[in-house]
Amino acid sequence: MTTQLAVDAVGVTKAFGQVRAVDDVTIQVAPGEVYGVLGPNGAGKTTFLRMLFGLIRPDAGTIRVFDKSWDPDGVGVLDGVAGFIESPGFYPYLTGRQNLEGLALLDGGARAGLVEEVLEVVDLTDRADRKVGGYSYGMRQRLGVAASLLREPRLLVLDEPANGLDPAGIRDMRALVKRLAASGLTVLLSSHNMDEVEEICDNVTIMNRGGVAYHGSITDLRAMAPDPGHLLHTNDNAGARALAADHPDIEVEPAEDGLTVVGQEAAVAAYVADVVRSGIVLRVFTPTRTPLEALFFMLTDQEVAA
Amino acid sequence: MTATSTLPASAPVTAGTPGRPGLGATIRWELRKLRAQHRTKAVLLGALLGPVPIALVIHAQGRPPKDTLFGRYATTNGFALSLLILGFAAQWVLPLLTAVVAGDIFSSEDTHGTWKTVLTRSASRAQLFTAKTVTAVGFAVLTLLVLSASTIASSVLVGGHQALTGLGGQLIAPSTALKLVGASWLTTIPPTIGFACLAILLSVWSRSSAVGIAAPVVIGMVMQLVGAMGGVEALRPFLLTTPYEAWHGLLAAPRFTGPLVEGLLTTGAWAAVTLAVSFALLRRRDITGG
Amino acid sequence: MRRSIITAAVVLLVLAGLGSVAVATGGGSTVTSARLERSLTASFSQVYSQQARLLGHRGVTPASLHAKAMCDNGGSNVGPGSSWNCLMSFHDPGNPMPTTGYGKFELNVHSNDCYTAGSPSTLVGFQTITDKQGRTVNNPAYEFDACFDPGSSNEPTGVTFPSALTITTTALTPDPQGRATVAALCGTGADGCVGSITVTTHGQKLGSVPFHLAENETAKLTLPQLPPGTKEADLAVSYQQGVGSSGTTLPVQGG
Repeated sequence: MTTQLAVDAVGVTKAFGQVRAVDDVTIQVAPGEVYGVLGPNGAGKTTFLRMLFGLIRPDAGTIRVFDKSWDPDGVGVLDGVAGFIESPGFYPYLTGRQNLEGLALLDGGARAGLVEEVLEVVDLTDRADRKVGGYSYGMRQRLGVAASLLREPRLLVLDEPANGLDPAGIRDMRALVKRLAASGLTVLLSSHNMDEVEEICDNVTIMNRGGVAYHGSITDLRAMAPDPGHLLHTNDNAGARALAADHPDIEVEPAEDGLTVVGQEAAVAAYVADVVRSGIVLRVFTPTRTPLEALFFMLTDQEVAA
Repeated sequence: MTATSTLPASAPVTAGTPGRPGLGATIRWELRKLRAQHRTKAVLLGALLGPVPIALVIHAQGRPPKDTLFGRYATTNGFALSLLILGFAAQWVLPLLTAVVAGDIFSSEDTHGTWKTVLTRSASRAQLFTAKTVTAVGFAVLTLLVLSASTIASSVLVGGHQALTGLGGQLIAPSTALKLVGASWLTTIPPTIGFACLAILLSVWSRSSAVGIAAPVVIGMVMQLVGAMGGVEALRPFLLTTPYEAWHGLLAAPRFTGPLVEGLLTTGAWAAVTLAVSFALLRRRDITGG
Repeated sequence: MRRSIITAAVVLLVLAGLGSVAVATGGGSTVTSARLERSLTASFSQVYSQQARLLGHRGVTPASLHAKAMCDNGGSNVGPGSSWNCLMSFHDPGNPMPTTGYGKFELNVHSNDCYTAGSPSTLVGFQTITDKQGRTVNNPAYEFDACFDPGSSNEPTGVTFPSALTITTTALTPDPQGRATVAALCGTGADGCVGSITVTTHGQKLGSVPFHLAENETAKLTLPQLPPGTKEADLAVSYQQGVGSSGTTLPVQGG
């Protein structure tokens, strides 16, 4: 049996009027892996995922999911595929349970007890009989995950799943995705947050303005990353800056509330030790961006956050 | 979400059995949604109870409303009363009762942002379209049957069941009159189905329930005005409101059914065209929002 | 938003186009005099028979009435409107026709092939009648609604009634030269009113004035000069076309 790709999207293009929302994007996801599609807002990630789900018709290119495509197979493409786009939509006048039971009908039926199981997984069992109109944003996201799990999928497609959640919700969502991935599910998720993608994904495509800025594994990406940046604030910033002359493999620049220090971990540590030894008192020493974050901003021409 | 939650029992990698819903299941889903909404119950209740006060008020009028067919006998004959109400209901009540569901069943998905939810399950766009159309048309017919039964019952109870002077001057015996009155109400089913399909088109095209519900009523009234105008009678066979008067032939002497047959053709054409356009619009739509 | 406006504009243009075509093809109405004539005679026969039953008059059935009608709307005789007049005669031995031979019925016809007919009270009675048990009941023949089959025959019924001439002047007012005019109205009917009015005063024949009126036309006819001091004039009407009263005597004012 040939290794079938979970997702095989080649040359996908979609324009809305003059704007090319997705421009010749190729993404290939192997079964069992966790794949991230990363990009700033407006990069085309959501549009691409909508095309995968058949919500939008591509202008050019092909999308195959487990070797099926929309043209001959129609809605059969979504066999074993589940997920949600942006904030999942439900019927506010029905309860959470009623929404899930209805979606199970549209799936051709779900085995007995599955609705209860998925409610359990997302911890909505005690709120399942309340109308969705009264749900919080986080509860709706969780119901969306439950609705996806109801299809017992082999490919889970999530569009910015942690978006809009509070820190606890974000942490829980990432943990859930990691668990699902660990159980063998193929996961394709989109995000605008590099840290999230780094934490969960194996491979990543970085999109910018509709096109692909980078394809590759997280490991390769890390190798490409520039040196991490730090913020340094002392009681004598001028003096600290002068000391940088002795450390050629780091860069020290003045910043709004101190100095930015860019360089490899070891070199920066050595420099800081030097500053302390010279009697300067450290007030603030904190990392400002991870290497991958920096790389991400570079690849997507975004304003570098200080 | 706690660390103690467990994952679904079946191994997700090999799962994903291609279950596909039948049309029956998709229709059942639409019915469930309909049953849960207040407007559905309100419409059915209105159709059931509305005719009672109307029959009482008209019956109690000192001067019978002679400008409408059967108005002159509406205060003295229950059959005439029900036919008077029929003539009046066809003007805007029937299109409105129909459009409340048919004009909303598609655009409500836009309102709630649920197209992306229902289109990412295992039902195709064609299946969803068919299920919604069947539900909308079925509800329209049900509402009409309830309204008819309630109107005939209240009218006969309030106004009596005397012999009726028909539209050929002939005197119709009460038992025959009852059958003809029932049949007359039933002849409003085809144009009501036509209006349901028109409401569906407006709902799909505008993605707005307000347009889907109000526009068919307004269009119905405009068509009525055009149909009553002199000089443009050539348009009458093409109007969706003309079949609402086809029942006149049942009460004439001798009975004639030409307009009924013509009405079926007109309604069929309207339904075919509006549904074809609606389906084309839905199939091609890019769901960029909800 | 722009797309919706364009779509709506296109739909309206198409509809306007259809409307113009409909108007240009002359409307295409199913309301014609032939269909009204057949429908009116049938439905009137029914309601008149109902009235006869209520009044206890025996032997009146739709078949026995042999009703005949001629309908005219004062124009093309096609299309709905409130100006339709039908002249109808029927045979009820207990209710003879007036001298003109027919009664005039006013119809208000709608585009949906239904109409309301108002019957002449001289022939049919008023809104209510007293039935044979002495109760006051609605007169079914006074005013009634009917609908005709748009697919029924449009062959002319060939029924014609002569126009009726009515002299509407009630008194003559001659000018200083002694010339007076009478107003004459020629009613609905075939062929109009043609004939002459002969004026006689104090036994003296003064002369005749001819008239030639189309149906639904009024005219002022100048009478032969009246001698001064005339108190009244006898007008005798003779007809070549049309019917009406055979004559009347009118007082002369200011003579």
